[in-house]
Amino acid sequence: MNEQNLPKKFKTLVETIDVANLLTEPLTVSIENLLRITAAEMDSDEASVLIRDGDDGDLRFLSAIGEVADQLINLKVPAGKGIAGFVMSSGQPMAVSDAGDDQTFYAEVDKQTGYSTQIILATPLRYNGEIIGVLEYINRRGSPPYAPFTPKEMDKAAFLAESIAALVNAYESAKLFCEVGDKIMAGSDETDMSELREWLKNLRDSAEHKEMLDLAILLREISSRGDAERQMCRELLESILKFSDSRNETSFLSF
Amino acid sequence: MTTVSGFQSNSFSTAATFFQIDDDWKTATGKGVSVAVIDSGIDVNHPDLIGKVKDSVEAHADHKRIIFTPSDTGDSAGHGTACAGIIGKIAPDAEFYSIKVLGAGGLGDGQAFLAGLEYAIKQRYRVINLSLGTTKPQFFAPLHDLLDRAYQAGCIVVAAANNLPQPSFPSVFSSSLISVFKSEELDPFNFGFHYGEIIELTAPGVNIRSPWLGGGYRNLTGNSFACPHIVAIIALLLEKHPDLTPFEVKSALYAIAKQNQIINEKAKLAEQ
Repeated sequence: MNEQNLPKKFKTLVETIDVANLLTEPLTVSIENLLRITAAEMDSDEASVLIRDGDDGDLRFLSAIGEVADQLINLKVPAGKGIAGFVMSSGQPMAVSDAGDDQTFYAEVDKQTGYSTQIILATPLRYNGEIIGVLEYINRRGSPPYAPFTPKEMDKAAFLAESIAALVNAYESAKLFCEVGDKIMAGSDETDMSELREWLKNLRDSAEHKEMLDLAILLREISSRGDAERQMCRELLESILKFSDSRNETSFLSF
Repeated sequence: MTTVSGFQSNSFSTAATFFQIDDDWKTATGKGVSVAVIDSGIDVNHPDLIGKVKDSVEAHADHKRIIFTPSDTGDSAGHGTACAGIIGKIAPDAEFYSIKVLGAGGLGDGQAFLAGLEYAIKQRYRVINLSLGTTKPQFFAPLHDLLDRAYQAGCIVVAAANNLPQPSFPSVFSSSLISVFKSEELDPFNFGFHYGEIIELTAPGVNIRSPWLGGGYRNLTGNSFACPHIVAIIALLLEKHPDLTPFEVKSALYAIAKQNQIINEKAKLAEQ
């Protein structure tokens, strides 16, 4: 199979599968289930996960359980705004309860959902040292006034956040894959399924495929080591590409 | 200067020596002491803080540098207002300087926080409230360097410990700053000093009634809110003893905490 056809083949491969749902739906369902279980641990019925939205520190609700869960999904919180914004930008958990005045507590979100937040515990979701989102537990079971979240519950939430963060990270990776797929698919050509299957089969059987997998694993390992390593890896790879390009040009000229 | 009554025996501790400091700081108000709050900004219109904030600046990215410009955007999260309010309740005449590094123009990473600390040191603010930190190892060395510069410039940096079970910077540095962990104690004067622990000081940080956005109040829990309690105590000490160095301030805190410990233990014995 001609290697130059690779991008085209990939386009058609992605096109043939409903990647977005296949990859992300089981994860959002699992996150929701974990929210339900952990909220019970915190004597609460309301919990949500917010994740990064873009590169400017904005957040959006990825998953939620409770009375206004449906309204929360995809609701945005601007960078640094409110308790979730602070927890995201500072990386520190925080427990807040009403001090007895009548104002809307969690103004940004309550205004849009009509829900009344009385107490909240927000803790960062961390994966490989990066803050990838915020986990929140809101109010207690029963009716107000609610007992404030305790320091022990703050520690417990931090522990629960670890398992939720792993799932959120998997969700983000899957989503990223979908987005890359979408980009590649834009402007795709006619598909030829039989040719594609044949190409995939050959690819899986080849030693080259295994080598590529090894390379991919190595890249993943390097990129998990930190920003500096990722940057260095990118620079090295770009240098190799440049070198390869210049070599090709030279060989072309020398002919 | 601080009254140093020499080495006294302490029947409640095997580490028998400590300095004793007189109690005049307890009647101080923090008058004339500059306190920088590096955070999400301060709501200067909150009833508890009106007229107390002398200057507000915020971080902006300018190409690859971070610069500070006058800020009128207040507080984006409520956290900085809460910290300033806690300090203001104990040291009502302290002069506040807001350095907004969180929620300003999408900034909020370690870089802005470092730049904020550097700005505060350059301004030579006497006490710096750092209810923030970073767990990213690449900030360890630059923060260590900045903290040393603060120490040499006579700026007293107080940092909140990480609320999560992992070290954060700068709170784990012990020599050049004061780090604080939350306790369930209510009396701000009854703080603790635990020599030998990574985070040496404990101060009230559970369900602390604090000013919040929109002129209201919230009850807050976190090490972030223990930190300003110690900042306020330092402002009181500095009003009475303006020449104290960071080293002497730490010694004074140690001496006061020792006295607190003795009083607390005596009270416990009396109860039995």
